[in-house]
Amino acid sequence: MEPAVLINNKRRSYGRYIKFVLRYLFILIIAAFLFTPFILAFLGTVKTDAEIIAWPPKILPEHWLWTNWLDTWNTDLGRGGTFPRWLFNTAFLSVVTASLQVLFCSMGGYAFARLKFRGKNIIFTFLLSSMMLPGIVTLVPKYVLMAKIHLINTYWALILPGSVEAFGIFLLTQYFKSIPSELEDACKIDGAGYFEIFKNVIIPLSTPALLTLFILKFQAMWNNFLDALLYLSRVSMWTLNIALMTFQQQYKAQWNLTLVGAMFNAFPVLILFFMFSRYYMEGVSFSGLKG
Amino acid sequence: MFYPLPCFDSFLGGTLKIRGSLNRMKKKEEIAAYIFLSPYLISTLVFTLGMILFALYISLHSWNLFQRPEFVGLKNYLKAFRSEDFKRGFLNIFWYTIIVVSFQTFIAVFMAVLLFKPIPGKQLLRTLFYAPSVTSTVVISMIFWWLYLKTGFINLAIEKIAGLFGGSWQNVEWLNDPTGLFQLIAGIFGGKISYDQWYFNGPSVTWMAIMAQAIYTTSPTFMIMFLAGLVGIPASLYESASIDGASPWTQFWKITFPMLRPVTMMVVVLGTMGAIQMFDFVKILTAGGPLGTTLVPVYQIYSETLGINGPIRAGYGAAMAFILAVVIFVLTYIQRKSIEEKTEQY
Repeated sequence: MEPAVLINNKRRSYGRYIKFVLRYLFILIIAAFLFTPFILAFLGTVKTDAEIIAWPPKILPEHWLWTNWLDTWNTDLGRGGTFPRWLFNTAFLSVVTASLQVLFCSMGGYAFARLKFRGKNIIFTFLLSSMMLPGIVTLVPKYVLMAKIHLINTYWALILPGSVEAFGIFLLTQYFKSIPSELEDACKIDGAGYFEIFKNVIIPLSTPALLTLFILKFQAMWNNFLDALLYLSRVSMWTLNIALMTFQQQYKAQWNLTLVGAMFNAFPVLILFFMFSRYYMEGVSFSGLKG
Repeated sequence: MFYPLPCFDSFLGGTLKIRGSLNRMKKKEEIAAYIFLSPYLISTLVFTLGMILFALYISLHSWNLFQRPEFVGLKNYLKAFRSEDFKRGFLNIFWYTIIVVSFQTFIAVFMAVLLFKPIPGKQLLRTLFYAPSVTSTVVISMIFWWLYLKTGFINLAIEKIAGLFGGSWQNVEWLNDPTGLFQLIAGIFGGKISYDQWYFNGPSVTWMAIMAQAIYTTSPTFMIMFLAGLVGIPASLYESASIDGASPWTQFWKITFPMLRPVTMMVVVLGTMGAIQMFDFVKILTAGGPLGTTLVPVYQIYSETLGINGPIRAGYGAAMAFILAVVIFVLTYIQRKSIEEKTEQY
């Protein structure tokens, strides 16, 4: 090799190294920037009432007042409106709707991926186009319906419409189609029915997709605001989101307590997300590729 | 699904007996399929198709939910078109959609390209970048409300940055400032636009503060979609481009950007749908104030249907929802068509 080329290569790799470090630094700065609001809010939860609205605001609290966390946890608005109750409501609704979604959407997905039936194409086309329907159209009639059949202030008002969705069926249909069908053929020769194949072959082979859907739907219900606001007005039926919104009115200038509420609300989904981030991102990227 | 018997069927010339069993099997499969689909079919019949028809019915009636609905024809629609608040809501959401969708799309592409190249801790960094999108709008609103206070960190940060350049900063009450962008610009040149001419005011300071917060939460979601799109671009394209001596900048505009078109379409369409139906931040932070500069259609639909500022008017709410849905449909249709047409050129 000629020396000139060697020098050139060396210089180039040196430049590449600097470029890499700069880019890495840049990425870290953005990550820090994106996380700053959460960190500031977390530090705010342990500040005193005076400190939290003082000018100029300081990043670190003078005394770490952890009792704020206890104060928020012990919030009692009367008529059953307590913090543990709101936490239970939120967790219960999230687990139930996510489980039902996994069950019903996998059933629908199996039918579309493996079975032949009349009207399949029409129903599937309808399913795809219904995903593009703006949710606002059904807002008013759904509220009127729930009011007329007396489901306001029951869990049903959120569970019934949220238990199966076009998106989940579409996601699982695509996943089931990617599973090779040899195993099923073998089962069929052994005389297994559709339900057994679904239960014993498809479901065990699809854990990642089912987990993805579960996590997406758990998070969607945990963060659901509009439906909870419409249907759950009784203080004992509130979810954490509705409670948190009223904290601000309840505590006025006591932003430290409101921020504790925000942390209680954010931590469960953040933990879940960090544990299963890969499945989560797969689900999100799927919704970007459906076009 | 494969029929186990079709070869026998043709081989034996299709005796009646086998035909019969084949039909029975087909029928069995069909019944099974509809049983598997029944939860979805029932749900979609009631909560999608049924609700669309019901919405149409409600929108043609005057109804406070307690008395019998009274047929009023298209009055609710005409009322919506004449309502000044509804027009204001549309103008506000127009600004919001244009600004939020363009910023979030560009930031998302930028972050995706930045995080796509192999770097140590890529997965962890992606997770960190994504975190703002995971928490609920109420949590984000509470944190930002506190940051946006007159004594909050946003004012402090701007003061510090202004101080670096020798300037000073008058603390702003971000979530309670109706001054419009065009009013501010006119102010710089010594002009004045009155609040009565709301259509010339431009997005208010409060509205732009909410937009910033929205962009902060939505960009990471779309970043994930772009990352998935980047995976689909064959690496050989970049290799041959760099052999030809194309700079990273040229490579981005000549390879990455055109190849990302299908994902960009999804991101823009989904982003537009989300932005036009924006509700949470307004309900939590401003209730449409100050001076109606953050009023949005969905908030109006919500308050008419529940009777927040007066009697319950479900019919009026449903009519406004239909108008909004038509606008969304037309907009996203145009977006799809225009992006698809451009894709065909490549």
